[in-house]
Amino acid sequence: MPIILKQFLRFCILILLQTLLLDKIVLQWWSSPSGFPVFIPYIYPLFILLLPLSTPVWALLFIGFATGLTVDVFTNTAGMHAFACVLIAYLRTNVLNALLPKHLTEYGDQVPGIKNMGWVPFLTYSAFLLFIHHFTFYLIEIWSLRNPGYLALKIAASTLTSILLVVVYLLLFSKRAPSRK
Amino acid sequence: MLFIALEIVCIILLVRTNTLQGVTVLQSANTVVGALLQKREDIQYYFGLRKVNDSLLAENARLRMLLDAEKHSTDAIVDSTVTAVVTPKDTTKKVQYAEYIYHTARVINNTIDATNNYITINRGTQQGVKKNMAVLSGTGTVGRVMYASDNYAAVLSILNVKQKVSAQLADGTIGSVKWEVGNPDLLIMEEIPQQIPVKIGDSVFTTNYSFFPPNVLIGKVVKKKIVKKNNLQYLYIRSATNFRNLQYVYVVENTKWNEKLKVEDSTKLLKAK
Repeated sequence: MPIILKQFLRFCILILLQTLLLDKIVLQWWSSPSGFPVFIPYIYPLFILLLPLSTPVWALLFIGFATGLTVDVFTNTAGMHAFACVLIAYLRTNVLNALLPKHLTEYGDQVPGIKNMGWVPFLTYSAFLLFIHHFTFYLIEIWSLRNPGYLALKIAASTLTSILLVVVYLLLFSKRAPSRK
Repeated sequence: MLFIALEIVCIILLVRTNTLQGVTVLQSANTVVGALLQKREDIQYYFGLRKVNDSLLAENARLRMLLDAEKHSTDAIVDSTVTAVVTPKDTTKKVQYAEYIYHTARVINNTIDATNNYITINRGTQQGVKKNMAVLSGTGTVGRVMYASDNYAAVLSILNVKQKVSAQLADGTIGSVKWEVGNPDLLIMEEIPQQIPVKIGDSVFTTNYSFFPPNVLIGKVVKKKIVKKNNLQYLYIRSATNFRNLQYVYVVENTKWNEKLKVEDSTKLLKAK
C-alpha cells in the first residue's frame, strides 16, 4: 500500500514542520506597538487538502479529527484544531465537486494538485478551505466579538501567510516535469 | 451525522479544558510529545546561551543586593527584645506560614500568541513538581503548574484570560492583574481607586493571597487610564518577565499550601451550615 505510506509520510512531515518549527516562530507583519496581532501560520491542514480524491467522507472526517487532535496535544488546545479540521474535512468534498469536471470517484488514487487541477482551481480550493480553517480556529480561540477588527486582521494575516507557505511547500515537494501516463 | 457527532466531541473537549480544573489528558506534558519538544529545545538552546548568561548575571546581582539589605536589617534586630523572645531555633513560636522550596526547570515549549498560553517545562512529579505550584522567572512572575506528568509539566502562564492574579502596589493597595489577548508584554491592573496616587514606573508586586510567594515583581506601570463611570483606575503594566525568550524558570513549592487550603475549606464548610 504505497499510497497509504506516502500519506503517512506527508502527515509526519507536516505535523513536525508545524509543531517543531512554525509554532516556534511568532510572526508580526508590521512592528507597530499599537497592536497589530501576533500570529502563527498553520500549514498542517494541507495534509487534509492533499488526501486522495476518492477518499470517502467518513474517512476524511476521522482523519481530520485525528490530525487536529494531534496538533492540539502539542499546543494544549484540546478540541480547537480538531473542530476546525473536521469542518474543512467535511467541506472538502463539496468544494472539490464544484471545481472538478468529473465525479470524484472517477479519479481513483489521484491526489488533488496543480498537475490535475491547474494553478487557479487548486489555489481557490486550498485558499478557501484554509480560510475556513483559520476563521473557525481563531474565532474559537479568541471567543469574543468585542474586538472584531483585531480578529479579522489576525485571520487575514495568518491565512495569507499560510497560503504563501502552502505554495512554497507545493513548489518544493511536487515533481517538476508532469509525467504523462 | 458523523460530522455532527465529531464536532460535538470537539466541543465537549473544548468546554472541559476551558475551565481551570478541566481535564488535562491532552496536554503537551505527556511523555511522547514532551520528549519531542525537549529535542526541539535542545537545538534552540545553544543559540540563546549568551542571553541566558546575561540574565543569570543580572539576577545574581539583584539577589546579592537583596542579601546585603537583609544582612543590615537583621543586624539591627539581633539586639532587640523580639528576637530574644522568639529564638530562631524555637520552632513552636516561629512565625512560619509559608516555606518555599525552589526547583529549577528549563522551558521546552512556550506560546505567547494564544488566548490561554501554556509553557511546558522539563520537570515533573519525579522531580517534585506538583499541580498548583507557582512558577517564577529570574525577573518576575510566570504562571502556575496545571498538570504534571512524570518528567514534564504544563504551566498556565499569566498570559491567559482564565485567571487573574492578586497584586499590590508598593504602598499596599491591593487589586488584581489580568491579561488581555494581544500584546504579550502588557498586563492590566484593575480596580484601583482613583484617589490612590500612581506614577508611571511604579512597581506592582504579588500579594499573600495568591499562589505566588508575596512581593515578587509582576511588572512596572507604563500607562494609566481613569474610567469615568466608576472612578477606578486602570494601570497598564509592562510584564517583568519577558515571555518572548523565556528559557529558565523556578518552580516554587509552598510546603504549607495544603494546610492553608484545608483551613480555608473548613471555613467554607462553616458557611454552608
